Formats: sequence, C-alpha cells, structure tokens
Amino acid sequence: MPKGLEHLFNPKSIAVVGVSDKPGKLSAIIMESLLESGFPGMVYPVNPRHTTVGGQRCYQSIEAIGADIDLAILAVPASEVIPVLRNAGGTVKSAVVISGGFAESGAQGIATEKELAALARKSGLRIIGPNCMGIFDTISKVDTFFIPGSRIRRPARGGLSIISQSGSFAATALDELASEGIGVARVISYGNMCDVNESDCLDFLREDVHTSAVALYIESVDDGRRFVESASRCSLKKPVLAVKVGRRDSGASAARSHTGALAGRYEAYKAAFRKAGVIELEGYEDFMCGCKAFGRGTSAKGNRVVIITDGGGVGVNLADLCESAGLKVVPVPDNVRERLASVFPPYFSIGNPMDLTGSATDDMFADALDASFSGDSFDIAIVAVLWGPPGLTDDLPEMLAQKAMLFGSKPLIICSPGGDYARGRAGLFRRHGQTVFATPEGAARAASILARSAEMVKRRVKKDG
Amino acid sequence: MDKKSIDRIVKEAFSLGKKALAEPDAKEILRLSSVPVPRSVLVKDVTGAIEAAEKIGYPVALKIVSPEIVHKSDIGGVALGVRDSRDIVDRWSNMILNIADENPVAMIEGFLVEEMMPRGVEVVIGAVKDAQFGTVVMFGTGGVAVELMKDVSFRLGPVDKEEAFEMMGEVRGYPLLTGFRGDTIKDLGAIADCIVKLSRLVALTDGIKEFEINPLIVYESGVMAVDARAVLG
Repeated sequence: MPKGLEHLFNPKSIAVVGVSDKPGKLSAIIMESLLESGFPGMVYPVNPRHTTVGGQRCYQSIEAIGADIDLAILAVPASEVIPVLRNAGGTVKSAVVISGGFAESGAQGIATEKELAALARKSGLRIIGPNCMGIFDTISKVDTFFIPGSRIRRPARGGLSIISQSGSFAATALDELASEGIGVARVISYGNMCDVNESDCLDFLREDVHTSAVALYIESVDDGRRFVESASRCSLKKPVLAVKVGRRDSGASAARSHTGALAGRYEAYKAAFRKAGVIELEGYEDFMCGCKAFGRGTSAKGNRVVIITDGGGVGVNLADLCESAGLKVVPVPDNVRERLASVFPPYFSIGNPMDLTGSATDDMFADALDASFSGDSFDIAIVAVLWGPPGLTDDLPEMLAQKAMLFGSKPLIICSPGGDYARGRAGLFRRHGQTVFATPEGAARAASILARSAEMVKRRVKKDG
Repeated sequence: MDKKSIDRIVKEAFSLGKKALAEPDAKEILRLSSVPVPRSVLVKDVTGAIEAAEKIGYPVALKIVSPEIVHKSDIGGVALGVRDSRDIVDRWSNMILNIADENPVAMIEGFLVEEMMPRGVEVVIGAVKDAQFGTVVMFGTGGVAVELMKDVSFRLGPVDKEEAFEMMGEVRGYPLLTGFRGDTIKDLGAIADCIVKLSRLVALTDGIKEFEINPLIVYESGVMAVDARAVLG
C-alpha cells in the first residue's frame, strides 16, 4: 500500500477546519455528513473565530486539540490552507483539501499549489486535492462530499470503488448509483492531485479487500508510465474500468508524419488502457453501465449471451446490439430446448432470443431463465420484460431474483423498457437487488463490458501466466 | 539492430539543425534495423540519375530528397515507373517545376533513384513518442489516404509479436492481407516482424520523435519499405 494512505481511508480522528454555525457552509455540511454517515471515530471542529459550534466545543486550531489527527478536512480559503497545515506540524497525518483557488485559477494559484505539494513531500503528509470533493467511503464512513444528501444521495455499502478527477462527475454518478440501488466502497474525487494521484489510489484499491471493482474518470494522468504500471497490477486482481475525457488534441507540431497526425493524446490513452488491462468506457452513460455491470459483484466468464423476452422485436433488437458489441448470441442447446418444449405452448419460439410472447407468465420467465442459464451454455443472461401480458405480475422481480441467486456470480441483466408502469416495475427489480436498464442499448452495453472484462482476464492469464 | 550507427545518423542530423530525416537517412536506419528496403542511389543531377538508373535497371522510381518536405507526393515530388533515360529527363524537369511552384524555399538535398518494386498490399507502420506514455505504435492500411480513412490500430511500445498480430487483426482492411477476393495470402509474419522492429527502434533511439514506413509493400513472401520518414525531437 502507498505510504500514509491508510490515514485517508481508515482514520480514527478527524478535524474539520473552518466550521461555523452558518448553515449551508461547506464545512457545516461536511460536519453534518460525518454525523449522518455514522463515522465512529472522533470528529473535532476547528475554527479560531468560534468556541462552540452546534453546541460542541470548537478548537482554535488543529494543534489546540492536543491529540493526533489522522485526517484534516480543509474547506477554507486557499491562502489559509498552508498556514493551517504548517502550524499543525506533525499532529496531522493526512488531509483532504476541498478548497479551490489553486492551479486551476492562474499564476498565484499555481505557485500556492506548488508550495502545498512541497509541504506534502517534505512532511510525509498525504493530501487529496486541492479543488476536489474528497472522499465518500462506506467502509470508514468518511464523507467529505460537501453537497447535502437531499441533493446528492449517498449509495449504500458495496464493492465498487470510484476514482474521479472531477468532483461533480463523481457526485452525479454517486447520486445515480444510489437511485439504482448500487452500493459503493470508496469514492475518491482527487481534483488537482498536488500529492495523491490516480496511481496512488489504484495501488491502494488493489490491496483493499472491500473493493471488488474500480471505475475511473480521467481527464489527464499525472505520470503515464506509473499509471500503466499501477493499473496493470490492479487489473490483475479486479476489473478496472476507465473513461477518459478531453479527447480533442491541441498543439499539433508542423512537420509531422501521418502517424504523428493520427496518434493523438487520446490514442495514446487508449493504447495505455489496453496495455494496462483497463476496460475503456465512452462517457457518462457508458460509465454508469460499467458501474452497474460490476456494482453487484457479478462477473462473466465469457461472451455467450442468452436473451429471454416476451417481446419479439425487443429480443431481435437486443440480439443485434449484442452481436455488434462483440457478444455471441449462441443457439440454445438441445437438452434445454427439449426441457422447455415439454412445458411451453407449441407456438413459443424456443431459441435465442427466446420469445415467450404475449402468453408469457411469471413462471414461464422463471422456467426459461432456470433452464437456459443454470448449465454452462451461457455466460450472461439478459431478461427483457415488456409488461403488457396479463400473466406478468409484480411477483416476477422477486421470482427472477431468487433464480439469480442460484447462478452464483454469473450476471443477470434486466431490461424493463417503457413508461411509468415499466419504470415502477424496474424499481421492484432494483429492490430485489437486480441490475436494471430501461433500454436494450443499456443492457447490451453492460453485457459487452462484462464480456470485455472476461476477455481481458483470459488474455492476461495467457500472457502473464 | 545496429544501435551505434543509428545513433550516429540521428546525432549528425541534430548537429546540422535538421528537424526531420529525409528518405535516404530514414531508409538507412531501417536497413540498420534489418527492415528490407529497395536498392537506391542518392544523386545530385540528371546525369547522376541516369547513371544510377542504368546500374539499378529500369524501370526506376525518382523521388525528391528534402528534410523539409515530409509528404513528397503531395507536391509532385515522386515519379514512379520511370522507363528510360529520356523519361528521366522529362520527369525530372516536371518535378523541379512542381517544387518551384509548391515549395520554392525547400532545401533540396538531391534525388533518390530507386528500383521499382512490384505491386503488393500497402500498409503503414509508424511509431511516435508520447510525452506521457512513451512509444505509441501504429499499424494501418496504407497509402496517402491513411489520414482520411483512419483504418489504424495502436499499442504502447515496444510491442511483441503477439501484439503486432493483434494490431493487424483490428483494422478493417485486414482481409486485404488474408486473401481478399481470390488474392494470395500475404506475409503476416514479416509485417509483425517490422512492427516489432520499428517499435523497438523508436523506443530505444533518443532523438527520434516519430518514425513512419508508408507504404510498406507486403507480398506473399516478404515485405519492402518503399518510403519512410522520421521527425526528430
């Protein structure tokens, strides 16, 4: 594990600097979040202008607390950040600097950030930020995301960890994951990365037993070669997904070969992801699909998909989407076909996609899933439910969820397209722990991400032994 | 790969203030890296060109040599299938006029007279140094339209043979190499070999920022780098 990061991700004591009673202030929201998330350690409010805050004793400075502080959270003006940390001396082990006004804001800010980086280097203090939202961690129960839960919902505990250069991207993803019922382990918005960068986070998450998959949002990496190394090592242990934004090139040199003109920054990132075993995602929507695909701890062993639906059109659409995404919609084996033919009406098309038609019932969906997915014929199942048939009831989500438990880590993806009624039923699926998409496109994307990960694992095993 | 001699060529170009290597130097580096290149002679004038062509044997290719002209054919700096001495004189004059029109201030180092290679499938292999990630290697279907068609694939270098084969498999034009419409199957192993060598060349040579073979002509057996250029930096 990179030195000092345990203080950021497993602090026993926290100082929140700049706290006041004024509601809506960032540090006040952070105090509230720490209370709400149930952080079990000590939380010390610090502000030289107050003696009490919210009825709790407020300290003049970090050093006035008289105890070691594992994590200091700073939401103070940029000019105050360095003095606060310097005065605290060795009593502080790590810091999240929320404050903006650094390298993102011109010459003065760049100079201050350099000074902050030097302070971290010299003292061994590990700093996340500046200009970031910091940490949302369901394991340590640290929450420095300074947007109230009423605006940005916090997800429950899960195995997915997120590393994001952008705070707003991370916050938006968090909110949506919470709505999707997908849990997270550690979410890190690292901002300007004056000290802790994406590679440090990858090194930490690689060894983190609470993290089963890592999703990254990257604008630019700090040190390309180190990133490839860290990501390679992490992806040998757990899936690593990444979206890279800012793809347009600037500053093309005059005398260039065709290769020089074509090999832009983005191509270099793509090649780096590939080398590092990172699954590349296209943007926000793809990022969400990836998070949802891996957010429930399932993973595929290959790319064979079975599609079960009561809507012939959606089934064929899904099959097309899957095939063009590199998945294999292989035929249903004879023994499965025979088994289902004996219980299904003769006019059902028992193939792949499997069309249960408007005569579909809850039991038929459950039977079809059980028969096709319990053997070793398929790696991923997509069940697309169109809610028109009267035989489909609100019991279906729970029935399929129970079946899904029998398949171990094999992923079941639900697609519930349509309007209000279908969306309501999608909610039932979520409540029963299922991964749900409103569109065939989303479901196929998630399946393809799972399959790409499987392929990556196979390639790595072959190559690295 | 004769690293010492390659370093010497690059160093000398730097000392002359060059920002790019013209074809003869680039090809010499390929030869030193064991990538096949056609026989060629660098000449200063028409008489020299005719002499060289007689030695090589007609038909020949005639190409302008200037480190300032990266894309020769764009400005009429390439004449292919030159048949005899009279043809040389005609095409030579044409070329001079073209360049006087298109790039009158370009420093001309001379002309390259080269054996004409038979037709084959044209591919492009290139490598650039990226500030963040180091060497980035490209493979693509070749020709002058490569920037338009963008039928290319990339890897971080240096690449091994297996990665080189993956790169080939990823481009849309891959079937052109594997017997498209009754054509013969091309020498994929020789292409992979070139990709590996070029990726190593750029990764291991200081001062080479970009290196490109375009086109590399691929045959049933073997390949030939008929044009190459390098950007220094």
